[in-house]
Amino acid sequence: MIELKNVSVTYKNGVDALNDVSLKINDGEFAFVVGESGAGKSTLIRLLTREVRADDRADVKSVIKVNGFDLIKMKQRDVHKLRRTIGFVFQNFMLIDSMTVYDNVAFVLRCIDAPTKYIRKRVPQVIGLLGLQEKINRYPGELSGGEQQRVALARALVNNPQLIIADEPTGNLDPRTSVEIVKLLKEINDRGTTVLMVTHEHELVKRMGGRLINIRKGEISFDDRI
Amino acid sequence: MRLSGAGYLIKQGVRNILNNNIASVATFCVLTVSLLIVGFTGLFSLNINTFISGVEDKNEVVIFLADDADEEYIEELGNKLRADENISEVIFWSKEEALDGIKADMNDAEDIFGYIDENPLPDAYRIKIKDITRMSSTLYAINSYSHIEKVKAPYDFVNILTGLKSAITAVSILILISLALVSFVMISNITRASVETRHREIAIMKFVGATDSFIKIPFFIEGLVLGIMAGVVASLLTFAGYDRLIALLSTETTLFAAMGSSGFIPLESFMWQLAAIYVGIGAVLASIGTVASVKKHVKV
Repeated sequence: MIELKNVSVTYKNGVDALNDVSLKINDGEFAFVVGESGAGKSTLIRLLTREVRADDRADVKSVIKVNGFDLIKMKQRDVHKLRRTIGFVFQNFMLIDSMTVYDNVAFVLRCIDAPTKYIRKRVPQVIGLLGLQEKINRYPGELSGGEQQRVALARALVNNPQLIIADEPTGNLDPRTSVEIVKLLKEINDRGTTVLMVTHEHELVKRMGGRLINIRKGEISFDDRI
Repeated sequence: MRLSGAGYLIKQGVRNILNNNIASVATFCVLTVSLLIVGFTGLFSLNINTFISGVEDKNEVVIFLADDADEEYIEELGNKLRADENISEVIFWSKEEALDGIKADMNDAEDIFGYIDENPLPDAYRIKIKDITRMSSTLYAINSYSHIEKVKAPYDFVNILTGLKSAITAVSILILISLALVSFVMISNITRASVETRHREIAIMKFVGATDSFIKIPFFIEGLVLGIMAGVVASLLTFAGYDRLIALLSTETTLFAAMGSSGFIPLESFMWQLAAIYVGIGAVLASIGTVASVKKHVKV
């Protein structure tokens, strides 16, 4: 679950990226976040992953809770615990070119010191779920954009996260593949994982439907189901 | 951390060395050269100091006693001098021995001594100082004893030696610290380039919840292995070059010729300690230098 109350973010250069934002996304929900460039979408994501911190205001009590973690009180040394409950999908896939599909997915589990036996069992399972069995020993450079994004999805899923944050996951894909990726995210959501997808493709959002959060000039200007 | 996790991190560290071969070779070369300069500066300083200490041992202070000092007092003074921890040798030199010495030196003028009824020379103690840097305080204490006529000490000689020793030590320390800093900065800059290429890998690690230490350990291992390798190679080069350098210096330079090849510290007496220091300094400099270059990427 994501809960934000009266949250503002001002960068060191004085830019007000988020202004008194309040938002609640329940467990198992699927929400699209849309908005123009510079509206505050990226700041919202960076806030949820604790890359940036909310303004410390004496007059207002801010609340940021993600997957049971209180991000206002959280110490820097505990940030990794929060991130282990989130799966990330990026616009540019963020795969490691020198690793095979298997190793890219296994990398997540190795980073959190999972047992080798579990890695050997879990990784092929997730790769299979995303329909990439045939490509398991291929390198990212040998895959299409859609396939690379599916590898990124497998990587996001492999650790059984409570929440998946997809930041413009269809930005580098053609319309057909984009729909395919969003459908995969919906399937993941149907199995109980909360999904927060940032996009600027309004057409795609209209086509898929669901909860839409529109951010404009650092404020939530629309939040409802479409 | 699990054993398999530790194994994975060690493998990653070694893999990094092979994947970033240009940066690895550059780090290795910088370290080896720095260690060699540090080693030879240290050895130069040690040899000079050993040589000076040898010369120091030849120092002698003569304490002339007043005529009214009786035998009992002379013995008591001897015991006091022997009890002083900065005096290594105490020899009583009676007035008769002193006169015999002069007579022996002037054996062609023994007639002169026929005119002397009474021995005019004083009794004396000849002492050797252990640490000449503390000579002044030792002599100050001796001067405070009664029945002391005069204390004759090689002050100029001592001042030159202690000055030389301090200067050499200070220059050596300065060189060692400067080289350590230069090596550290160079290694950090060299590895920074390879860290930049792995920026994506580090970013992914941060996003999936790797701890800072998990991210740093492969870089630490990479630096550690390179540092140990540089330490071993620097040791081998020093072992191979030290005796040849001594032979060359003994024949080609005035100062070292004065020391003679036997005046140098023999290689066998320090080789393992030197190898341990080389490996230790190499490992510490390289591992910390490498980890320092990752620091900014980890702060996400």
